[in-house]
Amino acid sequence: MSVIKIENLVRDYGGGKGIFDISFRVNQGEAFGFLGPNGAGKTTTIRHLMGFLKPKSGKCTIHGLDCWNEREKVQARLGYIPGETSFFDDMSGTEFLKFIAEYRKIGPQSRMDELLERFELDPKSKIKKMSKGMKQKLGIVAAFMHDPDILILDEPTSGLDPLMQSRFVSLIAEEKEHGKTVLMSSHMFEEVERTCDRIGIIRKGRMIAVDSAAALHERHTRSYTVTLENEAVAKAFAADFGGICNGENVTVTAKQSLEEIFMNYYGGEQND
Amino acid sequence: MTNLALYKREMKGSLKLLIILGAIITMYVSIIINMYDPQMMKTLDSFAEAMPELMASVGMKANAASLLGFMVSYLYGFILLIFPMLFCILRANALIAKYVDKGSMASLVAAPVKRRTIALTQMKVLVSGILLLIVYITILELVCAESGFSGELDIGELLLLNGGLLCLHLWIGGICFLSSCIFSDSKYSVAFGACIPAFMYVLQMLANVGQNAEKAKYFTFFTLYSPDGIIAGESSAIIGICVLLAGAVLLYALGIMLFERKDLHI
Repeated sequence: MSVIKIENLVRDYGGGKGIFDISFRVNQGEAFGFLGPNGAGKTTTIRHLMGFLKPKSGKCTIHGLDCWNEREKVQARLGYIPGETSFFDDMSGTEFLKFIAEYRKIGPQSRMDELLERFELDPKSKIKKMSKGMKQKLGIVAAFMHDPDILILDEPTSGLDPLMQSRFVSLIAEEKEHGKTVLMSSHMFEEVERTCDRIGIIRKGRMIAVDSAAALHERHTRSYTVTLENEAVAKAFAADFGGICNGENVTVTAKQSLEEIFMNYYGGEQND
Repeated sequence: MTNLALYKREMKGSLKLLIILGAIITMYVSIIINMYDPQMMKTLDSFAEAMPELMASVGMKANAASLLGFMVSYLYGFILLIFPMLFCILRANALIAKYVDKGSMASLVAAPVKRRTIALTQMKVLVSGILLLIVYITILELVCAESGFSGELDIGELLLLNGGLLCLHLWIGGICFLSSCIFSDSKYSVAFGACIPAFMYVLQMLANVGQNAEKAKYFTFFTLYSPDGIIAGESSAIIGICVLLAGAVLLYALGIMLFERKDLHI
């Protein structure tokens, strides 16, 4: 079942900027990676899903609810990490989380303490004085503490150190196991590869590929069959290059990493 | 239609400004009311005679008859217009436009709270602040007048006068609030929210000086609030107040409507 649906979404900022005819779906219990370089239109698409922007044409729905007209109903089940974390500078982290809990009317079932522990965040200091990483952690806690069904995460790991990034990846994996739906934007290939089932690649405001992570790999896998002098050499060759030995013939496959696939799609840019 | 958590946070944010403005107003009001003294009146009148244009521009006229007339001359032309206006300008911008500009509005709209509720809550914060200031001014005036010149003040007239003052400031707050809702840039929100009332006040000063400049009064909303007219019981003064109040309601409604429909690039 599709939870997040985007159909022919257009937002033209002029000068080739904006998003043009974006369509994709994210299913229940699925993690969707939204990949693209800076300025490709990831955040603009997400702002439409969040009900911040009204679609100029096309529509987006979450659980069948229109993201603009019924945004507060959509928001009830949503957790959001903004691409640019900007909270209330005058508050401390603790005050901010308490405020959000009260503002959203979250009861005592909040996951706040568990999340603070997981990300080793001490929220006592003023938000103004926090580092980028601390603010990002605060954003993660604020987005997850009401235990939402759907997570919309705009570059959620920016500013996090590798240890925290991997904790974040395992958090996403757990959420997915619990049937949560995740849409995550990133320009980090590895992160998306590790967490997401399906990947959409956006470039200059257009979706250029939407497929499962596995299929994207598949499409960019090439096999070669090499005939060698004798069986012994063939076996050694197969062992060294991870091929399949068949008499004097060895079949090796070359897999491109997602990063290379990504560069393939963008590589054309110079030739445009 | 109010989010209590937000209301509490914002009222806390208003507190510091309210205390500062309250202190300034306390100083002026208590000093000026205590200056009501036939001997001192002569000194003030001599000022007014020496530089009539300057005194008139800030609404100070010679020969104010009663204590209330004296207060109208020396308080309701400048001090009680400017300081609450300052509150409107600063708070209205901070309540909406500043959050949109800085992106922290994302924390407010990314929650199951309607935009209308957010804007309405912020409006209530602004209106509460204005109301607190005017109520404080009224109590202060009553206390000062009763302690210094017991029985000289017509309380009914004072209440009417301050009711009008409240409407005037609600209207000014409405202009600032609307501008805060329209602009996503704090810069423009302050520019419009501050410039329109300030410009109107300058026109009012010009009009007060009289002569040819008197026509300026047709171009400023301050004309709608006429303290002298209210005391004299003129019906046009009462109509002016009603126009201000109705206009204020319209401005707030329009601001909320626009905020509901606008694109937020946050």
